[in-house]
Amino acid sequence: MKLNYSLVTRRTFLNTLFGGWIATFFLGSLYAVWRGAFPTLGKEPDFVVLPKPEDFLDIPTNSTKAFAWGGKLGYIFKRSDNTVVALKGVCSHMECNITYKPADRKFYCPCHKGWFDEYGKNIEGPPPKPLEFLEYRVEDNKLIVFKKGVKVELPKA
Amino acid sequence: MSCQKLRGWFLERYDFSDLKGFAKKKFVPEHKHDIWYYTGGAALFLFIIQFVTGMVLAFYYVPYFEQAHKSIIEIVTKLNMGWFFRSLHHWGAQLAIAFLFIHLFGTLLLKSYRKPREILWFSGFILLGFSIFFGLSGYFLLWDERAFAAVRVATGGLSALPILGETIKAFLRGGIDVTGETLVRFYAFHVCVLPMAFLGLLVLHLFLVQYHGMSLPLSQEGKKLKQEPFFPNVVYKDLMFWLVLLGIVVTLATLLPPEIGTKADPLAPPPENVKPEWYFLFLFQTLKLFPGDMYGLNGEVVAVLLVTAAILFFFLIPFFDRKSQQGLRSPVFTAIGVAYLAYFVIMTLVGYFS
Repeated sequence: MKLNYSLVTRRTFLNTLFGGWIATFFLGSLYAVWRGAFPTLGKEPDFVVLPKPEDFLDIPTNSTKAFAWGGKLGYIFKRSDNTVVALKGVCSHMECNITYKPADRKFYCPCHKGWFDEYGKNIEGPPPKPLEFLEYRVEDNKLIVFKKGVKVELPKA
Repeated sequence: MSCQKLRGWFLERYDFSDLKGFAKKKFVPEHKHDIWYYTGGAALFLFIIQFVTGMVLAFYYVPYFEQAHKSIIEIVTKLNMGWFFRSLHHWGAQLAIAFLFIHLFGTLLLKSYRKPREILWFSGFILLGFSIFFGLSGYFLLWDERAFAAVRVATGGLSALPILGETIKAFLRGGIDVTGETLVRFYAFHVCVLPMAFLGLLVLHLFLVQYHGMSLPLSQEGKKLKQEPFFPNVVYKDLMFWLVLLGIVVTLATLLPPEIGTKADPLAPPPENVKPEWYFLFLFQTLKLFPGDMYGLNGEVVAVLLVTAAILFFFLIPFFDRKSQQGLRSPVFTAIGVAYLAYFVIMTLVGYFS
């Protein structure tokens, strides 16, 4: 079918074509740059395996021993009543590492002066949430620390 | 080749009359507040020092987490003049940020942000933001305990922002935790991304200053003021001030070399009474004020949202201050400006001495 009149002028047609082409090109490039610049995120570990469980479990009462929970700090902690627990040593406020104060029987975050009691409850200062606890068990003379509810499957050696 | 010949060579090819005319036509008004005109120039000079000393340091610094800390120790102990450049870079940064804050509050209280200079204010504000990020990324490169804690807090705090928080945090950290990847990233920000972005915006900022001319405080508008030629009078005054500043920076750099803390260990708790650089102290103190639980709300989120809102209001102040937009005096916004300044100064002091 031949139209007597064109609906768009040749100028509008070309402007739209080139404009669209340029916009698509830049948006696509921006997206590609963003994808490139954004890191591939690792994941928090589901579990870690530590050799020599006795080094961790036989610590004195009212003390802690640090281990690496992925890139973060983890603690094996023997409370004053001799129960042993595993927890993440990271403040629930702004993620600074916390430290245990045996004299006060509290965890302390030096960054903004936050305090947690032996049960990880945030009792003073800015921390909005309690500390995060982990579970552990001993298997084949190894200490396995894992997230609650995670099924640990060790690679067969 | 004599200078005359060289001059002739250029004049045959380029017409400098526009430039000469511009230098001749530019005047700066004289009044009782005109000292504020020199604060921006002072910051500019300090940034020039930062660029030069930074380039020297970048030749020797190793942006890898196992070697970063050691490479700085080698710069200050083994390299010719290394201690001096590192110290100068440190003190230059401190003074540059101090002058940016002086420049900011001067502009705020004299209401130089009012119409038609809104974009000047915005570009300046973003330049200050870049500078603070320069500072954070710069002192993270030390890879010591304090820097490690500071970057964890700064990036961790951003994640409390709704919707975009987690994305920003991951982007800045280069992963879920602050690690060696973060160091490489911050190095790239510090020596490439930020300088490029900063220079681009600075060119716009300086161009707009020329385009609009110097801003007159409301109290001086309509008065018959003496006009001082920019070239050479104001330029010479600028240079005099810069020379004094150079003396101050070099003296500080020589007498008070900055310390290097213990190498960062992701599994060690930060040192007792750890504090960020002074220009973060007001934020640091603010964060300490908010309890974890505020009437059932998450205190951390409330704090971060309030701080963000306060900064946004500050940024958009040219739009809120309707009166000075119309050229009227606006005491309400003077009071707001004084309140911001007082909060900043008091919280910084409290943070410093606590």
